[in-house]
Amino acid sequence: MKITALLVLKCNPDGSSDPVILANATDVSHFGYFQRSSVKEFIVFVGRTVAKRTPPSQRQSVQHEEYKVHSYNRNGLCALGFMDDDYPVRSVFSLLNQVLDEYQKNFGDSWKAVQTDCSQAWPYLDEALTRFQDPAQADKLLKIQRELDETKIILHKTIDSVLERGEKLDSLVEKSSDLSTASQMFYKQAKKTNQCCTIL
Amino acid sequence: MMNVKSGQGSSYRERTQEFSSIAERLRKSFPSLNAGVSANNVGVGVGAVAKRTSVFDDPTVEIQELTAVIKQDITALNAAVVDLQLVCNSQNGSESISSDTTTHSTTVVDNLKNRLMGATKEFKEVLTMRTENLKVHESRRQLFSTSASKEPANPFARQHPLANRSTANASTSPPPWVKNSSSSSPLFPRKQADGESQPLIQQQQQMVPLQDSYMQSRAEALHNVESTIHELGNIFTQLATMVSQQGELAIRIDENMEDTLANVEGAQGQLMRYLNGISSNRWLMIKIFFVLIAFLMIFLFFVA
Repeated sequence: MKITALLVLKCNPDGSSDPVILANATDVSHFGYFQRSSVKEFIVFVGRTVAKRTPPSQRQSVQHEEYKVHSYNRNGLCALGFMDDDYPVRSVFSLLNQVLDEYQKNFGDSWKAVQTDCSQAWPYLDEALTRFQDPAQADKLLKIQRELDETKIILHKTIDSVLERGEKLDSLVEKSSDLSTASQMFYKQAKKTNQCCTIL
Repeated sequence: MMNVKSGQGSSYRERTQEFSSIAERLRKSFPSLNAGVSANNVGVGVGAVAKRTSVFDDPTVEIQELTAVIKQDITALNAAVVDLQLVCNSQNGSESISSDTTTHSTTVVDNLKNRLMGATKEFKEVLTMRTENLKVHESRRQLFSTSASKEPANPFARQHPLANRSTANASTSPPPWVKNSSSSSPLFPRKQADGESQPLIQQQQQMVPLQDSYMQSRAEALHNVESTIHELGNIFTQLATMVSQQGELAIRIDENMEDTLANVEGAQGQLMRYLNGISSNRWLMIKIFFVLIAFLMIFLFFVA
């Protein structure tokens, strides 16, 4: 369930020229030290290709070796995510949606004028990368489903304990009725002993 | 098989021609019998054609034409046989001929009728087989129709990969867009070869089902959430029922304990009285002393 990279690019609507990178956040810590730069280059290259081939207002998922590249193109602004195969596809796209909204909020429409790759880092993207390693964080639906499942488990346990309580109450009822009968017998005996020997 | 049938047909034709040449001395001939033989052969042809239908190149037009031709022939043959029957009856009724000729003519007529019945039965079997094939094709088409119905623009470009895949694994039923998404990895090596229309078409075919699947998965997740919440509500209701039932049990226990308390208190009072009665010795000693004195008196009186 790892996210390896998140990219934001600007695509041309006709898909002719290469897209321009606006923001880039990568997590290459699990590669060896010497491979890191080449992996980054590779990610940039693959990202450009996929974004170029994603038509506007479309989502796309491409399988590449052991990674899946998901891209979402919205009015020329394209967000990409490089994920493992385990990551649920739907939460990927909701995450990309969030990223795009954040970007739009932060930078307004200034990205439309950019022609060269931006090298400044956008802290939100890095923080998003670390935060969303767990898909439940990104996808509200998944989070809700998970919480509901936990609640259901807790409720099942509650019902079990209530059933146990019912059994115990049952045994208590029996014991108390036995006690009541015994005390009644005791009273009768005592009365009998008293009635009998008053003469003597 | 066709040769045997035509062979039988020709020998039969010779016999009927002989019979008709005999009967022609009395009345008209029966050219329709030749048509009957050809219809038999045509029926066999339709059966063979209907058997070899596949999904995409089924000769619907040929089959329909042949079916129409056969139907016409059969109705014509039926009419001819009925006429022959009438003529035979009239011949038997009108002139006085030897019984051999009458039996011969009736047997010929019966034979013709049986042959016609056999041919119609075979035709019916062929038709049912054709309808079954059509049903099988329809069900197979429906398996793949999720994609086929959504791409009216590129049905042709899609059909050939679909036909190849369906012939390869017709038994599996995952929708083809899953297969298509795995075929997009040739996108990358093909990028070097650059820009033919095929990858774009594949991509486009993949695009609409992917959007759809995204929406579908969202809808499904929402459904799941809703049903989970519903179940939770149920569980809460059950919990409330159980707790109220157990509350009643608690009340019963309380009543029992109160009864026990009352009984025990009453018994304790009795025992206290008894204790008081026993502990005051003086009254008891006086009673015992009187009883002893009484016995002593009686004893003394009776002995002395």
